Amino acid sequence: MTQAPEHSSRSVWNFSELLVRVENDQELLVDLLNIFKADFPQLLRSLRSAVDAGDMKKSAALSHNLRGMLANLAATRAAAAAAELEKLAKAADQSALRGALDCLEQETATLNQEIDSYLQGVRA
Amino acid sequence: MKILIAEDDPISRKLLQKALERAGYDVLAVENGKQALEVLASFEAPRLALLDWVMPELDGPAVCRAIRKRAEQPYAYMVLLTSKDSKEETVVGLESGADDYLTKPFNIEELRARLRVGERILLLEDRLVEARENMRFRATHDPLTSLLNRGAILDLLNRELHRSHRENKSTAVLLGDVDHFKRVNDTLGHLVGDEVLAEIARRLLSAVRSYDFVGRYGGEEFLVVLNSCDPAHGPARAEEIRKSIAKPIMTTKGPLSISMSFGVLQSSEWGPRSLEELLHGVDTALYEAKAGGRDCLRMAKPPTESLPPAIPPELLRHER
Repeated sequence: MTQAPEHSSRSVWNFSELLVRVENDQELLVDLLNIFKADFPQLLRSLRSAVDAGDMKKSAALSHNLRGMLANLAATRAAAAAAELEKLAKAADQSALRGALDCLEQETATLNQEIDSYLQGVRA
Repeated sequence: MKILIAEDDPISRKLLQKALERAGYDVLAVENGKQALEVLASFEAPRLALLDWVMPELDGPAVCRAIRKRAEQPYAYMVLLTSKDSKEETVVGLESGADDYLTKPFNIEELRARLRVGERILLLEDRLVEARENMRFRATHDPLTSLLNRGAILDLLNRELHRSHRENKSTAVLLGDVDHFKRVNDTLGHLVGDEVLAEIARRLLSAVRSYDFVGRYGGEEFLVVLNSCDPAHGPARAEEIRKSIAKPIMTTKGPLSISMSFGVLQSSEWGPRSLEELLHGVDTALYEAKAGGRDCLRMAKPPTESLPPAIPPELLRHER
């Protein structure tokens, strides 16, 4: 099994928890990360559009989807940011929504770097 | 065991699928509630299901509610997967008909343990259904011959008579009695008598079509109902049945020559009369067959004028 990413201690990504979840199956782990890499950008774009359009219902639904996806990957901080976004969208708190989205984008950018680094390590 | 996973998040779906395949399940995965409902309502559907709460088309609780309305299907054990964790939402999920729920992200070992609980519940349900079916069989069948018992064959005959009258068809009713059966019991014993009755039941069943009915009407009396039987063919069909019986039966005391006498009635010739009147008519014809030398059949003729009140068949037992 490839070593845990160096930055995992920062809780961007709880790698050990994820390993337990996939029962140490590296092939499955890579499959899941590839699914994330393929689906996430589109989901985030849709979320950004919904927030821009002030569509609270859609923002809440997309945040919920993202939260589930991130939680499954043990991306603790990004999942928490998505949960906050979902809460705000449900409360129709439009003023705070954009800031929460920025926060989510920052967290997922870091997460994406971690994932890329891990996937490169696996390929090497 | 087959299991359905309904989950729109592809990561969660893949995780679940892999975890359950490792546990030996035969996994079927779909991505929305509508597909889940189609699978669960299909023939030989999985009886274990993991349903995500929030899904496109139809959410998990809606799938549960729809499945619980279909009482005729075998019980399905459904577990809701949810990231909702308030008590109110848990109550809503369980009230929709779910058997259990798990909060995401789930622990694999906990998930498998909960599914094993589901399997135990389904096993228990299967045993209860089997016990109920056995009881139903015993309540409607004769234990010696496994034929329909008197109550069950009369119910079916009554329904068939109404149907054939409604559809302007004819039902042939045969009441048969084993000739000199008392002698078999008296000389060879009741166990041989039972062997004879069981063999006659087998012969009667193999002489009729799959959609006809055969029942044990009394001790050595059998009732045969030939559905949609043209009056032109009724007597010939009855004669074939009589001949199929009139062959030696191998018993533990050796081969035995056995015959039966039959009263035969075509419902179309009798019009809309009560079951009691028809039974009285066919019983009278059977009596005539006995009086006419046995090992033969006699057709029941409808009375030209209205019958006196029917005598209950129980009161018409004769020494046969």
